Amino acid sequence: MSAKEVTIVVDGREVSAVEGEMLHDAARKGDVEIPVFCYEPKLGEPVGACRMCLVEIEGIPKLQTSCSTPVRDGMVVHTRTEQVKHAQNAVVEFLLVNHPLDCPVCDKGGECPLQDITMGWGPGKSRVIDEKRHFQKPIELSPLVAIDRERCILCYRCVRFSQEVSEDSQLQLLDRGDRTFVGTFDDRPYVAPFHGNITDICPVGALTSYTYRFRARPWDIEQAGSVCTLCPSQCNVSFTVRDEKVKRVITRDNHDVDDGWLCDRGRYGFEMFEAEERIAGPRLKGGAEVEWDEAIAAAAAGLRAAGGEVAAIVGDASNEEGYLVGRLLREGLGSNDVDSRQSRGFSRAAVVRLAQPDLTIKVREIDDADVILVAGTDPLHSSPILDLRVRKAIRRNGARLVVATERPTALDGGAEAIARYAPGGATHFLSELAAAVGGAENVASPLAESLRGAEKVVVIWGERIAREGDGAATALLDLADACGVAGAEGAGLLEVPDVTNARGLREAGCLPDAGPGLGAELAGGRSTEQIRAGLISGEIKSLLLFGADPLRDFPDTPAWEEALTAADHIVCFSMHENATTAKADVVFPLETHAEKDGTVTHPDGRLQRVRPSASRPGIVQSNIVILSLLAETLDLSTGIDSQPTAFAALTEAVPFYSSITEEKIGGQGIRWQETEAASTIPTPDGGALSSEPTTSATGEGLALGTYRDLWAGPITELNPPLQFLTPQQRLEISPADAARLDLKQGDVVRVGQNGSSVEAHVLIKERMSEGTVFLAEGVQGGNANALLNGGPVWVEIQKLSGVDA
Amino acid sequence: MADPRETRVLLEHAEDPALRTIDGYRGYGGYATLEKAYREMEQDEVLKELEDSGLRGRGGAGFSMGKKASFLPRGEMAKYLCCNADESEPGAFKDRELMQRNPHQLIEGIAIAALAADAGHAFIFIRGEYAEQADILDAAVAEAYEAGYLGKDILGCRRDLELVVHRGAGAYICGEETALLDALEGKRGNPRLKPPFPAVQGLYGGPTLINNVETLSNVPKIVANGAEWFKGFGTEQSPGTKVVSISGGVRRPGNYEVELGIPTRELIFGLAGGPEPGHEIKAFYPGGSSSPVLTPAELDLPYSFEAMGEAGSMLGSGSIIVADDRVSIPHMALRTARFYHHESCGKCAPCREGTNWTVKMLERVVRGEATPMDLDIISSVQQNIIGHCLCVLGDSMAMPVSAMVNKFRDEFERVIAEAGMPIAIVQGAPEALGAAT
Repeated sequence: MSAKEVTIVVDGREVSAVEGEMLHDAARKGDVEIPVFCYEPKLGEPVGACRMCLVEIEGIPKLQTSCSTPVRDGMVVHTRTEQVKHAQNAVVEFLLVNHPLDCPVCDKGGECPLQDITMGWGPGKSRVIDEKRHFQKPIELSPLVAIDRERCILCYRCVRFSQEVSEDSQLQLLDRGDRTFVGTFDDRPYVAPFHGNITDICPVGALTSYTYRFRARPWDIEQAGSVCTLCPSQCNVSFTVRDEKVKRVITRDNHDVDDGWLCDRGRYGFEMFEAEERIAGPRLKGGAEVEWDEAIAAAAAGLRAAGGEVAAIVGDASNEEGYLVGRLLREGLGSNDVDSRQSRGFSRAAVVRLAQPDLTIKVREIDDADVILVAGTDPLHSSPILDLRVRKAIRRNGARLVVATERPTALDGGAEAIARYAPGGATHFLSELAAAVGGAENVASPLAESLRGAEKVVVIWGERIAREGDGAATALLDLADACGVAGAEGAGLLEVPDVTNARGLREAGCLPDAGPGLGAELAGGRSTEQIRAGLISGEIKSLLLFGADPLRDFPDTPAWEEALTAADHIVCFSMHENATTAKADVVFPLETHAEKDGTVTHPDGRLQRVRPSASRPGIVQSNIVILSLLAETLDLSTGIDSQPTAFAALTEAVPFYSSITEEKIGGQGIRWQETEAASTIPTPDGGALSSEPTTSATGEGLALGTYRDLWAGPITELNPPLQFLTPQQRLEISPADAARLDLKQGDVVRVGQNGSSVEAHVLIKERMSEGTVFLAEGVQGGNANALLNGGPVWVEIQKLSGVDA
Repeated sequence: MADPRETRVLLEHAEDPALRTIDGYRGYGGYATLEKAYREMEQDEVLKELEDSGLRGRGGAGFSMGKKASFLPRGEMAKYLCCNADESEPGAFKDRELMQRNPHQLIEGIAIAALAADAGHAFIFIRGEYAEQADILDAAVAEAYEAGYLGKDILGCRRDLELVVHRGAGAYICGEETALLDALEGKRGNPRLKPPFPAVQGLYGGPTLINNVETLSNVPKIVANGAEWFKGFGTEQSPGTKVVSISGGVRRPGNYEVELGIPTRELIFGLAGGPEPGHEIKAFYPGGSSSPVLTPAELDLPYSFEAMGEAGSMLGSGSIIVADDRVSIPHMALRTARFYHHESCGKCAPCREGTNWTVKMLERVVRGEATPMDLDIISSVQQNIIGHCLCVLGDSMAMPVSAMVNKFRDEFERVIAEAGMPIAIVQGAPEALGAAT
């Protein structure tokens, strides 16, 4: 699709533009600003409602809306004639007929497009002396967003977002004419995972976040660009900082990453930075806060005392932090027991194969995919912004979607084929699918039909499938092969990992069998599950946890309890106090992503920079500095004492990062695959990946599947504004199984397995496979991880109380 | 009985109640044209006949029907035909009579037009208030299906046409062709941006021909008798006959079918009987409430698209509303503005806010709480609306209001000055107007 370059003339200037692009956008390239309210390309097709962007086009008698007029070669446009000015003055005056001029008390004042355009393009005076329309105000549109309907200029942006971007369709325009207002059916609260975006796109003060109302004026604040590290999407954000504290998080458009959107987790999650549970300084077991020197000495002593029988698990960490922890273990303590996965993961050989540049797509290529396969993940829960991306590809570009998962996903509604496999059955299903694409007739044939012959196939797969071992990687690679994605333009794989910086940590050396750069195979390193076993058996004495909370996030909670209890010494870096820190001997505070300086690597290989914008609480220090001091105390000289030195060491150690500089990362990041050094990624070994036969084991009762809920964990528990979203444990069950077990929606049940159990409310769900039930992981009180044991699990369900009892 | 001064083509035999049934219609030769068109004519032949006839849309815009149909792209994609029966313009009631008295003429017209447009699905979007007419159409459509004029493989000619009568939910804006499409699709009835025009991308994204009831009712006659015959009526630029709705201050309000181009005086005085004894005409809307009002000085203009346009007004849907000397023009302006304010969909700012603001200002005028300067503002606001809206609804208020303020400025000033003075108007006392919102 080669876009044709054309030349148009705007206000006497020649401007080159792409044929078919909207005149408003083309004019901007020539530095001609045409005012708009309703136009926002992110929202899709223009609506031409506000009429602010009327311009004169030679040869057309009536003024035209520049937001909806595609440019043609030779078009001559005037944006400053008397006729245009008349229209602009008229539209501004009309918009202000009903707009309360309450700017002095309006949160938008000072950063308000309506104010700016009124000053820039309005008549400068008002002739309106009549009563304006009145509404009750402000009222709750949702527990997080207030709506002031008097200020609304009915630009359609929020409604279009709800209907055409997030597709929740909850926001509607009600009534008509100048009585029109934005609302929901029956005044129900607008609760949807992306709804905070409407406060960003509202061009007036009609939609404001309760978390920011009356907290600051635009002249009190600074905007600091950074990256949200609350999930693998790594959306670009801007922190609104007042007095060194984050007051708001807004989007920072990066088409390559987030398409200009942000989920509510990323937007409202910042209040947990100041939660009571936030750790503001180092402490020893029992709660005694100590000075840094003492804490570092205690940690070093404990680690050293283990005499090499020491392990580290890294979770929420930057590339540099992961890299340093790896060196600390390998070089400082002589142990290869380093991992960054919550459970079983792929071997180095598999990781290397999947990391090959010709297999990975860039996020923006999803937009133009022919067919998207979502396998083993629900993007809404695990990488929310990808959910919007897939919807966009379907809605705007006609992409087709197929879904192969254990559990129903939020995207099912847009899929042309859906397959549900049993928990733990991804390997088997993907192998079948690969065969079916190749022509075999099997259970996966309906999905294969969609994939066969398609050119741009994008496979979005969940790291979750790696829990089944390297067989899953083989199946995935076979599938990629069958679909011919390697090297094909716009085709490839994209991983949805379990933790934010999973790819960066693997590439920075946080794997048991590979150091930085996924270099040569290392022998003898223990993986997460082996570390747990080693702790229980006493082969590992000391454990370093960096941003990892096994008791919340890792499968098999009882075993982890045992392992952490058995450990002689635990050093834990954590942002908040939790069950794991309670077991630690030395606790170090972690920086939040508003405080940290470091790089992270997106699942598509894009290195982005997290920049510090807020002050750290208490005596919290840079994690890099603390890690380097710890290394020094362990007599390891790293030459690292700051983020720049850490970044330099990282890029030196990871060959395919070697041509990346902070400058190249800039504000938008850079994919290492697109740098000169990309070819230094290790080439895959020739042999087949080790693979165990796929288990088709069966058990008594119902198969248990688990998933990570978007809202489970500290994000809701420690965030006052998000607390209302804290999920309760629900047993998702098919209508048939529910009927068989005489369960009704809302019944309380005990779900048990081998002595462990959790309580849950019954949720009967369509599109579920019969014989399988689901529980959420990470939920406070009834964490499904308690029931997992590394293999397929079958559960017994006991009804405790009925809804109508 | 028809007035001999009328030229009845569409309303021919309208006085016969049996015309409503398929047998009655066939008794007058009905559906013979459909049979001829389906059995003997190619798409292009039908299209050419329509184009040559010069038939102009009877819904208000007056665009050539045949040309509009020719804009539809050719190809395999699903194409649609929509009959706009959302007759909601104050003063217009001609489509109601055409549907009520001769539903099969419309159905036959739709079926033939569908042939010209190569449409496989057709809809009649009828305003919800026309419940009786919708029932009549439903019955007639059922008869037409029964007789094989609709449905699959019509007359064995391997052409299909499904026809659905869809009742609107009572919004004037749904008579705007793109709002009609949105409403048909089950959405909020708001106008769409044009381009793309419905002929290219209309209902469900497919090429769509949208025509008014009267326009489509003309189709069987044209195809039966030929373009030349049709051009024998009317003027060069406004061929054919027109059913004109005349209401207001006349002795015989009603629908009259005449050749286009007859003197307007003939319509108002001859057919409709002129004003009540002892009264004079003060002003009249020549083409529905959205047309700029004309004065008695313009009564001798020919009633044609071109003459009305030259006079600064329009023929629109062909609905004349007469205001006699008892009518207060400022109150008539307010009533007109209120209608468009009430019916504005709210999508675009100039219409939404302009209609609202105009109503508020006119309310102040009739309450005497305005100054002559407000009249300047009212005029200026109308100019701020015209040409700036997404669809024509805003202009539909701005044009007549603007004309009234400009042509009757003295009266506006007098009303302001003498507010409180009782003023009789034809329909309802001013108090009632003031109370209604």
